[in-house]
Amino acid sequence: MTDDVTDDAPLSAAAEYALGLLTPAQARAFEAEMNSDLSLRAELAHWQEHLVTLTDDIAPVAPPKATFDAITSRLFDAPKPRRNWFGWLAGAASAAIVVAAVMIVVIPVPNPTSNDLVAGLVGADIGLRVDATFDPDTNTLLFDRVTGAPAEGRVFEIWLIAGEAAPISLGLLPEAKTGQVQLTAELAVLVDGGIIALSDEPPGGSPTGVATGPVVAVAPFANG
Amino acid sequence: MATREEIETYIDRVALGDRVAFAALYNATSAKLFGVTLRVLNNRAEADDALQEVYIKVWRAADRYQSNGLSPMTWLITIARNHAIDRLRTRKKGQTGLDEVAELADQAPGPEQQAIASSARAQINNCLDALPADRAEAVRRAYLDGDTYQDLADAMQVPLNTMRTWLRRSLIKLKDCLSQ
Repeated sequence: MTDDVTDDAPLSAAAEYALGLLTPAQARAFEAEMNSDLSLRAELAHWQEHLVTLTDDIAPVAPPKATFDAITSRLFDAPKPRRNWFGWLAGAASAAIVVAAVMIVVIPVPNPTSNDLVAGLVGADIGLRVDATFDPDTNTLLFDRVTGAPAEGRVFEIWLIAGEAAPISLGLLPEAKTGQVQLTAELAVLVDGGIIALSDEPPGGSPTGVATGPVVAVAPFANG
Repeated sequence: MATREEIETYIDRVALGDRVAFAALYNATSAKLFGVTLRVLNNRAEADDALQEVYIKVWRAADRYQSNGLSPMTWLITIARNHAIDRLRTRKKGQTGLDEVAELADQAPGPEQQAIASSARAQINNCLDALPADRAEAVRRAYLDGDTYQDLADAMQVPLNTMRTWLRRSLIKLKDCLSQ
C-alpha cells in the first residue's frame, strides 16, 4: 500500500477488482492470488454482494421478443458450413496444418453495421469463442474473444485463407479480450469469401511461417 | 419475480444442459438484466446484443455457479454488469475484460458467504452516504458507468495518483462500514 492511511483493515485488491479499477495485468495477478487464497474469494464475494445493490434502483425492462430465439439459435443451431473449404483444410493438413478435432460452427453475429463481414470462431472442445468482424470501410479486422484462452505458455495465431493459396498469417490474437488487426488493401480484398482460422502456437507465433500447432477454430466470413 | 430458490434451481438445471430450465431462467431474470445492460450502455440495440451474450455466458458458466459463493441474482447481475462495461470500454477504446469476475470460481464458499446476500441490501447506500459526496459518486461511477481511475481523475480534475489514493481510502472506510 502506498497510502499513508493507518488502518486495521488494509485494502486488498478485491474491491478494486470488483469495481473494475485494476489494470488487466493487476486483475490477472489478483485472479491468480485468489485461486490459492480462499479468504480473497470470500472478500470479493462480499464486495460483489454489496455493490450489486447499487443496481436495485434500475428498473426491469422487457427485452425485445426476438432476443431469446437469437440466444438459443446462437447456442444450439446446428453447424452449417457453406463452402467447400473443409476439403481444403484436410488437404492442407498434410502440408502444414494439423487439424485436430476441430469443431466447425457458424454463428451469426447480430447487429453488425450493414457491410461488415463476420466470422464466429468456435473451438468447442477448448471452450473457445472468438467473434471476428471485418469492416471494409476501414480495412480493420476486430476480434472479440467471448470465451476461452490459449493454454499457459501458448498463443493463438490468426490465419486468413483465400482460395487455394497457402494461409496467410495475420499475426497473433491479442491477449486482451478485444483487439484489432489493420489489413493492407491487398489482404483486405481476400476477406470476402475467405476463411479465418486460429492455430495454437508457441509464444511469438509460428516460427516457420506456417501453422505448426493444431487449428483450434475455423470459420468462413459471411455478410452480417 | 421468481424466488431465490427457484432461480438457483434453474441455474443448477441449466448446468446439466436443461434448455427448458434455461428458458425459465431467462423469463424470470432477463428484464432485470436488460435493465442493467441498458442502463450501462444507454443504447437499445447494443444492450440487446449484450444481453444475448450474457445469457450465452450464463449457459456456459452455470456449472461453476454453485462454487462462487454469490447469491443467484448477484451472479447474474454481475455477469451482465461486467459484460456491459466491457462493451462500453471497447466502444471507448480497447480495454480490460471484467467478464471473468463472476465466473472464476473453483472453491466452495462457507456458510458465512451464503449469509452475506440477505444482509447486503441497501447497506451500501448508508455507508456511501457516510463518505464525502464526491468520493461516493466516484464509487458509483466506477460500478455503474465503468469509470477507470483515469476517467475519475479527469472528471474531478485531480492527478491520477491523487484520485487513486482518495478512492482507496474511501474503499477502506467503506469496507469498515460494511463489516459493521
